[in-house]
Amino acid sequence: MFILFKLELFKLRKKLRAWLGPILVFLLITISFPLTVELASDDLKNVFYSVLWIASLLTVMVSVEGIFLEDYEDGTLENFSVSNDSLFAMVFMKIFIYWLLIGVPISLLGTFFSISMSGQISSINIALPSMLISTYIFINLFSLGNSLSLNKGSVLGALITMPLLFPILILLGKIVLNAGFGFEISNLLLLMLGVLLLIIVCIPFIISFIIRTHLE
Amino acid sequence: MFNFAFDSFSGFIVMDGHGVYVWSVFFIVIISLISMFVFYKNELKKLKKKHFNE
Amino acid sequence: MLKKLYHQFASPKTYIVLVDKMYPYIFYISLCVYSLALIWGLAYAPADYLQGNSFRIMYLHVPASFLSQSLYLIMATAAAVFLIWKVKLAAYMIKAIAPIGALVTFIALASGSIWGIPTWGTWWQWDARITSTLILFIMYLGLISLHSSFTNFEKADKFISVLVLIGFVNIPIIKKSVDWWSTLHQPASITLTNKPTIDPSMLYPLFFSMIGFSGLIVCLVILSSKVQIFNRESNKSWVKDNV
Repeated sequence: MFILFKLELFKLRKKLRAWLGPILVFLLITISFPLTVELASDDLKNVFYSVLWIASLLTVMVSVEGIFLEDYEDGTLENFSVSNDSLFAMVFMKIFIYWLLIGVPISLLGTFFSISMSGQISSINIALPSMLISTYIFINLFSLGNSLSLNKGSVLGALITMPLLFPILILLGKIVLNAGFGFEISNLLLLMLGVLLLIIVCIPFIISFIIRTHLE
Repeated sequence: MFNFAFDSFSGFIVMDGHGVYVWSVFFIVIISLISMFVFYKNELKKLKKKHFNE
Repeated sequence: MLKKLYHQFASPKTYIVLVDKMYPYIFYISLCVYSLALIWGLAYAPADYLQGNSFRIMYLHVPASFLSQSLYLIMATAAAVFLIWKVKLAAYMIKAIAPIGALVTFIALASGSIWGIPTWGTWWQWDARITSTLILFIMYLGLISLHSSFTNFEKADKFISVLVLIGFVNIPIIKKSVDWWSTLHQPASITLTNKPTIDPSMLYPLFFSMIGFSGLIVCLVILSSKVQIFNRESNKSWVKDNV
């Protein structure tokens, strides 16, 4: 398991463009929002969490596009699926590495931005956990979509699984609402954590089934 | 229970101003149902022709 | 004996023979019931105290939305049957039901938004139930496009089954969202456990409308599944006799 971790980590770190690019995209979106809307107006302060989440959604969608493409083309995926090592573990590690290299930096940057927008340190409590969890969920769902359209290379698969995001977005909307009123949001965060744990277990299993079907 | 709910037939069409909405929905439903039935009957006829010509 | 029954029903040929026998009855009975229900509901039911006459859209909207969710449940069952027991007929049914499900969901969305203009003043609202029904519509369209983008039909069948089961999380959200959140859409008036809150004179045409509309949609599903079976099994010998 640890060997898989190191393997995937090195694979992704080599492709600098693959993980640095999305972080820059995220920076671009989050910086351009206050610039185009009036700088730090009251409305923007309240909805800034939504801006962060939408920006992370778009970033993840762009960055996860080739997640299985390279391995599919050079045959690594086929080797893995017929070997004794579990495809589940490989997919899980791949998604985890993508989250470590793209999701976590985005969350930290977003937390920093939210602190600077709202002026209070306490916005860490809302921004950091919600962004960490939501980026992980988005990466899972978009890689599921990309595995469906493996050999076409189109975005059809990602578009098809986009409707599944909407329950998550509804939850995030509730978090913004409660944060604006000053209510407790820890129960909603725990609910999101539960959803994340369920997804972490199920999605690599589903993706390995889809990949095996592709390779028949 | 079985009283005609409107005063006249033109009242039935207009329905106190709400007739536009009710009848537009009614026609959407009826037209889509009929067109689907016609579409599938056509597909079956095409298949029938294809198999009889072999 | 049960196993023999199961094997018989899993064969497309038995299905076609059975369905050909039942189709005229289902079609004409449901046509009569639905026309009766519509005439009763549109012309004879008393006008609502709050909403006036536009509540009559209920007789068209409620069966459509109920049926869109039920069709998805049937597709999910068929997907599970296909993935576990590899019954090909189940995969044909999924492909057959998807366009009809899309149509029914479209009817539900369109009738709901037109109903919303006189009652709520707006034709769209981003509340949980309406948005989730829109997502259901997009899922149906996605299923159709996914299946048609593959040339190898066995792979396409497996992918479409997986997608149906993944999208199944949407259905509890639609059903329960009016209970969990207080939204614009009204809560259910007819549940399994409580007495219905609608007056009987409005309720009876609703029941007949639901039965009639379901029957007509079942007829459409039968036609669509026949088209699918004849397309996919066109090289079998029994097709020529039964088509």
